[in-house]
Amino acid sequence: MNPFLTEKHREVRRSVRAFCEAELAPIAKDLDQEARFPWEVVEKMGALGYFGIQVPKDLGGAGMDSVSYVVAIEEISRVCGGMGLCVTVHNSVAVHPIMAFGTREQQEKWVPDLAAGKKIGAFCLTEPNAGSDASGIQAVALKDGDHYVVNANKVFVTNGGAADTCLIFVRTNPEAGPRGISVIVAERGTPGFVAGDLEDLCGMRCNPVSSIRLNDCRIPGDHLLGKEGIGLAIGLAGLDTGRIGIAAQALGIAQAALEEGIRYSKQRRQFKVPIARHQSVANMIADMATQVDAARLMVYRAAALKDLKKPFSKESAMAKLFAAETASAVTDMAVQIHGGYGYSKDYPVERYFRDARVTRIYEGTSEVHRTVIARSVLGKF
Amino acid sequence: MGIHIIVCIKSVVLDAPGGKIVRTPDTTALNPFDLPALETALALRDESGGTVTALSMGPEISGLSLYSALSMGVDRGVLLCDKALAGADTLATSNALCAGLKLLEPYDLVLFGTRTADSDTGQVGPQTAVGAGLPLAAQAREILVKGKSLEVSAECDGFRQRFEVDTPCALTVAPEAAKARNASLGGIEEAFSGEIEVWSLEKLGLTPDQVGDAGSPTKIKDMTPAAKGKQCDFLTGSIEEQADKLLEKLVNAGLIQ
Repeated sequence: MNPFLTEKHREVRRSVRAFCEAELAPIAKDLDQEARFPWEVVEKMGALGYFGIQVPKDLGGAGMDSVSYVVAIEEISRVCGGMGLCVTVHNSVAVHPIMAFGTREQQEKWVPDLAAGKKIGAFCLTEPNAGSDASGIQAVALKDGDHYVVNANKVFVTNGGAADTCLIFVRTNPEAGPRGISVIVAERGTPGFVAGDLEDLCGMRCNPVSSIRLNDCRIPGDHLLGKEGIGLAIGLAGLDTGRIGIAAQALGIAQAALEEGIRYSKQRRQFKVPIARHQSVANMIADMATQVDAARLMVYRAAALKDLKKPFSKESAMAKLFAAETASAVTDMAVQIHGGYGYSKDYPVERYFRDARVTRIYEGTSEVHRTVIARSVLGKF
Repeated sequence: MGIHIIVCIKSVVLDAPGGKIVRTPDTTALNPFDLPALETALALRDESGGTVTALSMGPEISGLSLYSALSMGVDRGVLLCDKALAGADTLATSNALCAGLKLLEPYDLVLFGTRTADSDTGQVGPQTAVGAGLPLAAQAREILVKGKSLEVSAECDGFRQRFEVDTPCALTVAPEAAKARNASLGGIEEAFSGEIEVWSLEKLGLTPDQVGDAGSPTKIKDMTPAAKGKQCDFLTGSIEEQADKLLEKLVNAGLIQ
């Protein structure tokens, strides 16, 4: 029983689960091993509305609420973390900022193709020397007539190797400090736009995470999102929403690990009984189930608050922190339950364990989230 | 105007925890054997234009299966729901469906799955066709619209048959006929933004003695789980001998040829 779910949300779960089990489950292991981005699945997901979940229908989206969104991300991630990452980053921090801060012309220009999955979006903030401290970015966009000349070196860009429409965080006024940061939409194919080699990562390996460099790249002035100087506000707004998606992703991975832990502990026999009969293993299952349940309630609450148009920043930060830590802990326990087999690539918990680890790092580390939460809880004093 | 196709669907019970049937959203689902019929109807509509109506009978919770059908792209959902309908056997179910079909006229085609996942009689489709006075072809795999008639391919006893059937007619659709589409997220949003129609016995123009438990000539007296015959044979001998014995057993059991 989950008080945040309606029958519509259950239908979303049924439908997305059926799709992912049919299309992604048979290839998830190979995608991880080969670090391959499954364009053939992306095309089908696009037709089903997965790339424009909350985009209004008149721009080609599914027009759904945030709870539907987290259910969908949870279900994709339950089968393949790397594709859950692709879909959540695309929806939350590429499409959402264009919907929230873009003009109608900009929305009509970029959103229909993004919502249909014909083009993939990316959020390019991190640089070699600027991560948690986003105000330290060095990318620059200088006005030259009605264009910006952009020079940027962005790293660890999720979807980078596949992305067509990239939100680039740049300094439009290098003297203005944090108030001189803006967001410019750069499109693949623009002269000077270079997607670097794919990163060889520990987990989420099917996602084409790469660097993106812009070398004297001339971008039309009307590709500026919002206005100059509000880049950090756009970033923070995107991350508030993005956190819910990453939390849902961590939740999906944790759910998968829980299911595998239950299945294996009932099947594996040691000392003449299924290992689930041993109290130490049963206790692990109890802890895993409890933590996954708590994470789910927190994630759905954050999404429900957003749907009610209530403040959700603290709740989404708490949900992301807790779900990410839960994913790490639960996948670790699932490996432990599997013993030596859990350390082998023959069993999926090994992949879940690697995929879960990064949820504590990206879109704000657990440590940054604790800072955000503490600030909100303590208030001014 | 296009073709009007009615698909009769059932909300089936997937699980009975503790041996007791309690219908909840988690224990019920759209009958998987109805999915090929729905897909066939949607594909025919997409090709020829027209509308698809899904018709079901059951308690209020069965409406969820109609929403699943609407999410796939069905245009209209109708649930026959009345306390008097409870406890129906297959004949009483067919009586109610026939009355529903009458109210949905005119139609060209009525589709059924071949069976259900929870009671598996396979009777409701053919019985309803008889009750509604419709010609029936069973186990349809391919359907071509040819003016006022259909060309239907079916497979039976190792033979592939082709029928020509005049419309309006009824077909049961083989599970192999089509792989059902996934509901798109936009389709789900649209389905749940609308509503299904709920028809009472009065609307159907039937009396309580024609339907439900009262209208059922067959009654289930009791139900107990069937004993599963499980036998474990240990094969002995060398590895080669064991492999030969295993092979022989599998061939004798008809599992391999």
